[in-house]
Amino acid sequence: MDDPYIKYEDVEVRYTELVYGLSHIKLDIQRGEFVFFVGSTGAGKSTLLKLLTLEARATSGAVRFAGRDITRLPDRQAPALRREMGIVPQDFALLPRKRVWENVAYAMRAVGNTKREIRQRVPQILEQVRIGHRADAFPHELSGGEQQRVAIARALINNPQLLLADEPTGNLDPDHSWEIMELLRELNVKGATVLVASHDVMVVERMGKRIVRLDQGKVASDSAKEAPNA
Amino acid sequence: MLDRLQFLLGEAFIALRRNGWMTFAAISTVAISLFLIGGLGFTYVKLAEETAAMTGKFELRVMLKDGTTTAQISKAAADIRAIKGVKEVSWIPRDKAWKRYQDSLPKHDNFAEIDNPYPDSFKVILSDLSLTDSVIDQIKAQSSVDDIQYLKDGQQFISQVQAVVKWLATALGGLLFITAGILIYNAIRLTIISRRLEIRIMQLVGASFLTVRIPFYIEGIVQGFLGGFVGSLILIACRAVLAERVRLMMGWQVPPIPFGMMCLLCLFGAAYGLLCSMVAVRAPLRYR
Repeated sequence: MDDPYIKYEDVEVRYTELVYGLSHIKLDIQRGEFVFFVGSTGAGKSTLLKLLTLEARATSGAVRFAGRDITRLPDRQAPALRREMGIVPQDFALLPRKRVWENVAYAMRAVGNTKREIRQRVPQILEQVRIGHRADAFPHELSGGEQQRVAIARALINNPQLLLADEPTGNLDPDHSWEIMELLRELNVKGATVLVASHDVMVVERMGKRIVRLDQGKVASDSAKEAPNA
Repeated sequence: MLDRLQFLLGEAFIALRRNGWMTFAAISTVAISLFLIGGLGFTYVKLAEETAAMTGKFELRVMLKDGTTTAQISKAAADIRAIKGVKEVSWIPRDKAWKRYQDSLPKHDNFAEIDNPYPDSFKVILSDLSLTDSVIDQIKAQSSVDDIQYLKDGQQFISQVQAVVKWLATALGGLLFITAGILIYNAIRLTIISRRLEIRIMQLVGASFLTVRIPFYIEGIVQGFLGGFVGSLILIACRAVLAERVRLMMGWQVPPIPFGMMCLLCLFGAAYGLLCSMVAVRAPLRYR
């Protein structure tokens, strides 16, 4: 079997002597997988994603991504690492005074794309997430689902092989939640590894993908394994 | 490259526009502080030059004791000449001094009845006004010296003016300069707060450290540069208003503000703005 694309090696995130974010997490995720991290608030599902984006650091253990140990990667290398992944935040993080296409264009300009590249790629990306028809709308004119599509579109600007979505359906009704999950599934089918932190158990189970349940910072169960590892 | 520059400048000027009043406060404080430091610094230097030019005009009159012999006078003259800060020493014989006094009062004709009250004396011209006290002490130590007369008030006045100018430039200018730095720092911090969404987006998509920070550096540089520029303009205006009055009151020509000095103030302001912005962005723009 190939080396896992993402590997959490006995990872511990400790805030104080007694307070743990994560405790002895051992997880392997293969390239092209679609994995849900589920659990109640404070279970550690977002922290698992943040370890990959370097927003959080492991107190002990190691996190490997694409064959590299990123546990103690210096902060200055975080931008390059993040350009290898697409991050979809729960709150969409859209610029309210910019139109849909401008929101995507702004992010592309920030990572150094030229205006020509932006003109070429923005329509493609918007079509990819099926929001092209609302390209000239402002965020407040969009539904929650549409706003989340824009956030996903922005996460795709670097052609990432890994998509991280933190509660992408947290602010959406069930119909829109399902739309977003379908979109993430499409991106996964096209080759992206997708990691989603969610507490939306109904939607997660309906997707039929790998589910890692977290409880108080520990892996309580992993649908990819017969027995829990904690 | 041009696209990139356009993006960074655009971000910086959005930030400047968004915090208009804070930017105004920062620029005006930098302007006043640099005006004080630059203007008073300029005044101090010019005063020092003026004082140096005037030192030749300041002289001491060293009165010698009665009965001092010619040999003692020659030795005293040589000793005084060797003192640091003394430019010239010339002997004024008592007869010559008395004759000069008589010549200055031609209407009086009864001088024959009066004994010459003048002692032998030296006229001592100083080369460095700041050494006056030390020169006087050393001359007084000479055994043949009886008394020293000099224009103490004039020297002290210039010396005091210099001290006040120096104090004002250091204390007021320095204080305002620190305040200006704090204002630039605060303006940048406020910008960071008002642009936290843009910053978050840049960090989410992996924009480089410099891409995130350069707009704030530019903001600081612009604030400092404009502060220096406005400070220079105030300096020119003040010079225009005061030059004629100073000439009439003190007889001094106030030279025009050198262009190089204006450039220096602008560059200094810009460098200071950059420094303040670098400090301001350190903690809040960490990639977390």
